Amino acid sequence: MNVMKSFVAAPLVLAVMGLAFAAAAQGGRVATAGVYSKAQADRGMTLFADACARCHGSSMEGLDVAPPLTGPRFLGNYLGQPAAALASRIRTSMPLDMPGSLGQQASADLTAAILAANGYPAGDAELPSGSSAQQAITIDAVK
Amino acid sequence: MSALSRRSLLSLPLFAYLWAKAPFAKAQGAASAAPANTDWTSYAGDIHCLRYAPLDQITAQNFNDLEIAWRFKPDNFGVRPEFNLEATPLVVGGVLYTTVGTRRDVAALDAASGELLWMHRMDEGERAVKAPRKLSGHGVSYWSDGKGDDRILYVTVGYQLVALNTKTGEPIKSFGTDGVVDLKLNDDQEIGPLNDDIGLHSTPLVCKDVVVIGAAHTVGTSPKHHANVKGYARGFDTRTGKRLWIFHTIPQKGEFGYDTWLDGVDQVGNAGVWAQISADPELEMVYLPVELPTGDYNGEYRRGAGLFGESIVAVDLHTGVRKWHYQLVHHGLSDFDIPCAPMLVDIPVNGKMVKALAQPTKQNFLYVFDRTNGKPIWPIVEKPVPKGDVPGEWYSPTQPFPSKPPAYDQQGVSEKDLIDFTPELHAEALELAKNYRMGPLFTPPSVWSDTGTWGTLVCPNATGGANWPGGAFDPDSHILYIYSKTEADIGGTIPNANKEKSDFDYVYSRGTPPPGTKVTPRGKFKPGQLTVDGLPLLRPPWGRITAIDLSKGEFAWQIAHGETPDEVKNHPALKGLTIPRTGRPGVLSPLVTRSLVICGEAGFATQAGGKRGALLRAYDKATGADRGAVYMPAPQTGSPMSYMVGGQQYLVVAIGGGNYSAELLAFRLPKA
Repeated sequence: MNVMKSFVAAPLVLAVMGLAFAAAAQGGRVATAGVYSKAQADRGMTLFADACARCHGSSMEGLDVAPPLTGPRFLGNYLGQPAAALASRIRTSMPLDMPGSLGQQASADLTAAILAANGYPAGDAELPSGSSAQQAITIDAVK
Repeated sequence: MSALSRRSLLSLPLFAYLWAKAPFAKAQGAASAAPANTDWTSYAGDIHCLRYAPLDQITAQNFNDLEIAWRFKPDNFGVRPEFNLEATPLVVGGVLYTTVGTRRDVAALDAASGELLWMHRMDEGERAVKAPRKLSGHGVSYWSDGKGDDRILYVTVGYQLVALNTKTGEPIKSFGTDGVVDLKLNDDQEIGPLNDDIGLHSTPLVCKDVVVIGAAHTVGTSPKHHANVKGYARGFDTRTGKRLWIFHTIPQKGEFGYDTWLDGVDQVGNAGVWAQISADPELEMVYLPVELPTGDYNGEYRRGAGLFGESIVAVDLHTGVRKWHYQLVHHGLSDFDIPCAPMLVDIPVNGKMVKALAQPTKQNFLYVFDRTNGKPIWPIVEKPVPKGDVPGEWYSPTQPFPSKPPAYDQQGVSEKDLIDFTPELHAEALELAKNYRMGPLFTPPSVWSDTGTWGTLVCPNATGGANWPGGAFDPDSHILYIYSKTEADIGGTIPNANKEKSDFDYVYSRGTPPPGTKVTPRGKFKPGQLTVDGLPLLRPPWGRITAIDLSKGEFAWQIAHGETPDEVKNHPALKGLTIPRTGRPGVLSPLVTRSLVICGEAGFATQAGGKRGALLRAYDKATGADRGAVYMPAPQTGSPMSYMVGGQQYLVVAIGGGNYSAELLAFRLPKA
């Protein structure tokens, strides 16, 4: 059996730290700081059960037809990205039988539900529904 | 109303086609000393489904010199971009054919330049909107009579089989009705044109003058109706579209296998062949990998072993008559299906070459048979398996276990499988796992309980292990290469409180309680969440490639495939630890060439220089050692293929994911 190779992490640590730093320097926030409200995530989860669960699974685990929205495969798509990247993807391409039907508020609520399902903490305020405000929020690594 | 009158057909036989063919022909003539053109004529290379390219211009020595020859961005095929292009294109005679876009259009490209030669578009309206399997699918198939009648065949989102002229993209008028066979008709059952649950996303199987079509349905975690549409397989004439045969994957009364259904077959459906199909033209046998009947996790309406659920069925190419079958899972309750093509491999057994069939699976067994008669190459033994306690469920007392080769990834979950980077993380993982049942492979789903357990921890899950992309096989060394992932999941079920949504008594829940149920807090854990401080519950590798020497039924090597995720590299609890490459979970297949094993990564990672992307990696075929890696702006979504045109070898791979829309990338070496 082959021995797995080790890696040099330092440049990558710096790169990811750099992203977080850049977000903070621009007055931005990170998802682990609590960027949605519990009530919003609950609204999003109700919507998820109706519009999304049949392809992504009832707890976002992913099925043969659609990827997981939690855990490492979610982070593999969105770590370091602005919340707007996720919200706009939902708003423009989902659900597959009615893409574009959700609108900004529902897409923000679904984004909140996905963050909650990944263990990001709720905060006092809702995740804003506008793209420019969402651009200032970075999806960092959940701990 | 005919299907044709409900849609508009638009094909664009571009003048560019002939124009583009001219320089291609010139290049061939000029490069007479160069290696011959080599095609890729079927989804996995050929209909033996080996994903092998007999090419060696791209080697370990020059892999890192690869440059992008062309890229093709199908954003404007369909009314919005697609993000998950799963196709593997074909190349025949210097032209690349593939499905693309959210409407599943067909595109023909110049294989050397990527220039669009023609496109075919069928607007199916509501029929596509209501279809169970949307997006671009796995690609197209090719047929030729050898005398200039060359056709592309594909299945639309709305389940229609279409034949196109390879040179113009125009439908073949003499095939079906003006080029189209409505697959919802003539299926030995009534299927409504809009609302009934049937479609297909894999490519048709073309062998000689027969095209074989399977069926796919809505994902069956909590099916609306247990008596869903049945997923029969059919053979059609490639010239006329006439149905030649049908194989009832759920036998009708009086047919072989009917007695394995204790309650008859009126209350069940599914058992489709949604995976790729393979065929042996010499034996004139077609190998059908059948999924499980309705209810991925709940089998209360299908008590009994239930043939031909989760069986490989070999049928006659011309008649569809069953030659042999082997059931890999009796009365499945884990959605293992059979997700990918049986691989038709010729291997030495006891000093004699045998026509064999190797079947990769989600459950991480590679089942190997003599494909002439279905007899296992190495003994497959029925062994007792754990029984569950879901009310009304039926449990098979035994399941078949291959004695060789060993399972290529984890099967079942026990305490030793839990993350152990540090003692603290392991202790926390143990605390989390206490909330669930654990057990070996085939430990069934269990009912969520606030005072008991939240379901059963499982690995692999419904997406593997291995999955629909399948494996690759080197016919020279007899080594089979398979990618698999290691990911914990939950097999859980709850009483069904909403008969409008599903007519099952119990439905899938994945560790979460019925809506409105009180959940007593259990420390920091909540039902359904399988991470420990943001890290995966199970030990890595989380994605791996295994090389299995089929001359012995043993591993040649196994490696982690995929860079360690950023969130793991940068995790505060792991600071100061040297962690070997962990691999990444995904849905992938490698390609094997005469010189290398090649596979893209799943998931984005921060690359050298801080760029976001993924790597297309090359490995040594004999040892698995790294032999090179080139940058891609997004992860692999469709399996790589390779061809030679104009004296140059190309690698083409479909990428995308997250907010990066789908793209085809073609690599080649720089011209001298």
